[in-house]
Amino acid sequence: MTRRRLAGLALVLLGIFAIVAWTHRRHVAGELLRTEPDQILKSPALLREAMRIGRPQYQGHCQSCHGAALEGDPARGVPNLAGNVWLYGNDPVDVERTILYGIRSGHPKSRNIADMPALVRTGQIAPDDARDAVEYLQSLAGRPYDKPAALRGRSIYFGKGNCYDCHANDAKGVTDYGTPALSGPTWIYGGDRESLYQSIVNGRHGMCPAWVDVLTPVQIRALALYLVATSALPRVSIVRH
Amino acid sequence: MAAHEEFFDISKPSVRRSMTLLAGGALIGLGLAGYGLFTAKGTRSHAVPPEAVALVNQRQILRSDFMTQTQTQFVLPFAQTSREQRRTVLEDMINEELMVQRGLEIDLPSYDPDVRNALVAGVELEVTADVLAQQPTPEELRAYYEHHKDKYSTEGVMQLRDLLVKSDASPPGAAAHAAALAAAAALRRGQTLDAVIKKFNLVDSGRFMDAGHADTGDIFQFALRAKLDDALYQATLPLHDGEVSDPVEETDGVHLIAMIKHRFPVAQTFEEASSQVWTDVKKEAQVKVRSANLAYLRSRADIITAPEFAQ
Repeated sequence: MTRRRLAGLALVLLGIFAIVAWTHRRHVAGELLRTEPDQILKSPALLREAMRIGRPQYQGHCQSCHGAALEGDPARGVPNLAGNVWLYGNDPVDVERTILYGIRSGHPKSRNIADMPALVRTGQIAPDDARDAVEYLQSLAGRPYDKPAALRGRSIYFGKGNCYDCHANDAKGVTDYGTPALSGPTWIYGGDRESLYQSIVNGRHGMCPAWVDVLTPVQIRALALYLVATSALPRVSIVRH
Repeated sequence: MAAHEEFFDISKPSVRRSMTLLAGGALIGLGLAGYGLFTAKGTRSHAVPPEAVALVNQRQILRSDFMTQTQTQFVLPFAQTSREQRRTVLEDMINEELMVQRGLEIDLPSYDPDVRNALVAGVELEVTADVLAQQPTPEELRAYYEHHKDKYSTEGVMQLRDLLVKSDASPPGAAAHAAALAAAAALRRGQTLDAVIKKFNLVDSGRFMDAGHADTGDIFQFALRAKLDDALYQATLPLHDGEVSDPVEETDGVHLIAMIKHRFPVAQTFEEASSQVWTDVKKEAQVKVRSANLAYLRSRADIITAPEFAQ
């Protein structure tokens, strides 16, 4: 009889515990959503919760493309997320927006301001111009380069290639457009001569799906914070033009 | 047997146990129904959910949209924006939501052409987003070019006179034909255009005029196609510099085309046409997706047309 009573009591306690745990989780989810993302990064308790919720989301939805260690995949043009180089800015709000609506995902709010045009295939510049532009980019990256070709490449960059318009005069990229830095050391599709040449010849159109209808708001917030917090390098200020 | 022992002894029936379990089941059911009722979409709520910054007639203004809008409007990271700035943005977003809801309330899309156009454009953009983002491969581009080679050539340009032996009769009489034939023969013998015009009483047809005078400037082939009837157009295309067409009868008389200068279209190589091929491939893909979308919409729509338009 006592055993039965104990079993009943255990069941009741389990139920109470489940209710408390459920309530706590809802409370934490509310806190994570109501608190400004920057404040969460400064709050160890909230950040721990964000990491707890965000990590499995990353593993379940992002890892297949971005890799287990956020390392990306240049062969497929998947950005390295561990280097704290963010195409659209490293503010958690910016990262959250990218997760929510994606990049060229087809969602009306997706990031889709600019594409890398296929400059050679569309006839805007000649193949030799592209080779020269590659030499100019090699010079910016501090690699060995052919000087006369790099000089010609510079005039392509600022002239008929019109590259400066999106990638900025200093080739550091513009987060508003999601255009990458062309001066290295991080390259989405690889920084070797052939990869750069292929980018100029054929253009690039990377995409990231929109998760707004797949994940809950708190999962998306937690995932954004997980990514920002996991990035290896110290945060840099947002570049806006 | 004590009452509580009877309650837990499941080998024997117990009214008390049955009623207790029934009540428990009913309470759980009510609890689940209540939870579903108060959390389902469309449920009225007086509390703003944590993912939203405001509810406007129960429609959420998402916190993430609000933060992005604030950043964009003030060109600052969200953390650096002031309470005042945030309030301004929120008020603007509430106003916008109110206006959108009002627009739907008064059924703006049903009668405002601008709203209808915006909706159509929005839907088309969403449908064709994948196509716009896709990169045709070099092989696809080449295959398209090979399949549509006749499309890729430079535009033909010509300078000409469209001369007419006027005739009041319809169809023009034999005299008009004879005059046109004689004029063509004279031009082929090398007589000047002005002399032949004067001798055979020819006039410009009026289809190529510039400020009241015959336009002998460059005329693109596509423009010629728009201005000439098919027979005359076909008679014009093969003419080289200085050649004259055979007479072509039309309702206003008999026409002769005197070609002054003709730069024929030149076929473009794949490399020369690559930009246009790229555009055409994209355009064709968009047209296909758009047609498929319309076919799908039509397949699930209930469209009834008036008898005179029924197929």
